[in-house]
Formats: sequence, C-alpha cells, structure tokens
Amino acid sequence: MHRAASREFIAGCRDEAPLLLGAIPFGMLYGISSLAAGVPAWLAQLASAVVFAGAAQLVIVQMLAAGAGLMPTALTSGLLNVRHLLYSASMAGYLAHLPRRWRMVLAYLLTDEAYAVAVLHYQAREASADPDMRHWYFLGAGFTLWFAWQLSTAFGLVFGAAIPPEWELEFAVPLTFIALLTLLLRERAGQAAAMVAGAAALLLAALPFKLGLVIAIITGLAAGVWTARRLERVA
Amino acid sequence: MNTLAMVALVFVVGAVTFFYRYAMIGLFAGNRLPGWLQVLCKYIAPASFAALTASALFIDGGAVSIALDTPRPWAALVAAGVAWRSGNVLATIATGMATLYALKLIL
Repeated sequence: MHRAASREFIAGCRDEAPLLLGAIPFGMLYGISSLAAGVPAWLAQLASAVVFAGAAQLVIVQMLAAGAGLMPTALTSGLLNVRHLLYSASMAGYLAHLPRRWRMVLAYLLTDEAYAVAVLHYQAREASADPDMRHWYFLGAGFTLWFAWQLSTAFGLVFGAAIPPEWELEFAVPLTFIALLTLLLRERAGQAAAMVAGAAALLLAALPFKLGLVIAIITGLAAGVWTARRLERVA
Repeated sequence: MNTLAMVALVFVVGAVTFFYRYAMIGLFAGNRLPGWLQVLCKYIAPASFAALTASALFIDGGAVSIALDTPRPWAALVAAGVAWRSGNVLATIATGMATLYALKLIL
C-alpha cells in the first residue's frame, strides 16, 4: 500500500472512532431485540452484514415482532433507507474517478456515520496529494463502523440469550424511535409529517400484515411536503 | 413469518439499500437527484418513526389499545421529555427503561 494511502486509512479509522459510542449500543440493542422478536441469531447477524443499516434493521425486528407481513416490512424499512440516495448523490462527484470495484465497496459502506465523517473530510481538505488518496480515508471510516457493527450485533446476540424476558428490553426499540423522532421535530413541516403519520398508523391499525404502517408513512410524507409548500407560499 | 421468508426479506432489503447507496455513485453517475425527491427525503424519517412509535405503543394485535393503566405509555412520555431536553439517544433509552422498571414496581 502507498504510504499516503495507509496514512489516510488510519486517519479515517481514528475519526470514525467517536461515532462508535453511539453505534455500539445500537448494535447490541439490535442483537438483543432480534432474539426477543424470534429471529434466529444467525439470520440477525447475516442481516447486519447484508443490510448494514441500523434503523432499518430495528424496523424489521419491530415489525416481525408485531406479526407484520413480508411486503409491508420490506416497504417500510426500504422507505427509511431512501435517504442514502442523498448521501450517494453528495459523494458521487468525489468518487467519480475511481474504478467500479472501489465505488461498489464504498457504496456498501455508505452509512449515516461513515457519510458524516467522510463528507467532512472531502469538504475540508482539497485533494492536496497527487494522486488523490482520500478514498482510503472513506474506506477506513466505513470499515471501522462496519467492524464495530458486526461485533456489537454478535455481542447483543450473546448477551440477549442470557437476558430474561421480564426485563422487557425490546421496549428499548420504540424508545430509540422516540429519541430519533424527537431530534427530527424542530421544524414545522416535520412535525406535521410526524403527527399525520402517527394518527394514520392508529386509524389504519386494522389493516392486515401491518400494511397500515406503510400507508401511514406515505400519508405523513404527503402532509410534510404539503405543509412545507404552504409555509413557503406564506413566507 | 417462517425462516425462509425472513431470509428473503433480509436479501430484498439489503439489495434495495445497496441500490440507494450505489445509485448516484455508480449507476447514474453524473446525474443529479430531482428536487422533489430531495424534499421528500426530509420527511421520510419523521413520518416513519412517528408511525412506528404510535404503532409500537398503542396497537396490540391489529387493534388500537391505549392502556393508560400500564407502565409503557408513561415510560415513553418520560423518555420523550428527556429526548426533547437532552437530544441524547442513550440517555433517552436509559431513562425510559428506568421509568418502566420503577412503574412496574409501583403499579
């Protein structure tokens, strides 16, 4: 490996490290609640490798526990991941010169946490060295998170097997959703989206396979966009 | 859901997620995302988490059940307060679980 490349890689690992403080408990929670939802341990671990998206994996577990069907679960967790399109668009220019296999690996590693660190690095530092080695930084950041995610899932699965159901640790999943939701409610249109989606989820509760959840989210989306448009027109 | 269906689910969601991540970097490189999609993306997370929270707290077996004499809604309310004040996910989970255990002892 080029010396500049290894320097970039190590810097990426180092800068990603503080974000592990949030990711590791999240991964353990995912492992623990997977078992509580009746997902086999090997499948929960496989999902961490194949899906590699914390919130979507928790949604899958939550919906399986509630007896949701295949399609509603795939649609809801898939919808939640659409935001990765934004990350992908934002990184595209920086990675355009790389060969396809590099771009595929980095796309696989493009999580919220890796994006946050990598995009800052690309924005803060011009490609000073020639050739540009900053993709090694992205790889270091992405790999660090990947490794921590796999390991914390495994820890959660090991611990989860020893935790009695009376502890109701699966309740930590809706608590996580509450925390993430509250962080997103600083803006009027976001509040409208959340209120409409929450109310619609209850109104549509009787639909089979948790299909009501998918329709509720789409209704909330429409409410958010509509409110944003109206506020724009008033302002 | 049987195990085979769950395996299929994991691979479908994995493929869709990879598609989103690779789309602009690889498949449609040089193109820009349409504006409406960027606006839509802003509201996906609040709408999803709100629907999931409401459903986890107040739906039991396909019917709405708002059981205010059980600990969970109250623990969730305390957790929401902590989340609003601190903005800290771990503190929110810790307080919510602690409230749940305390209420279970009392009720």
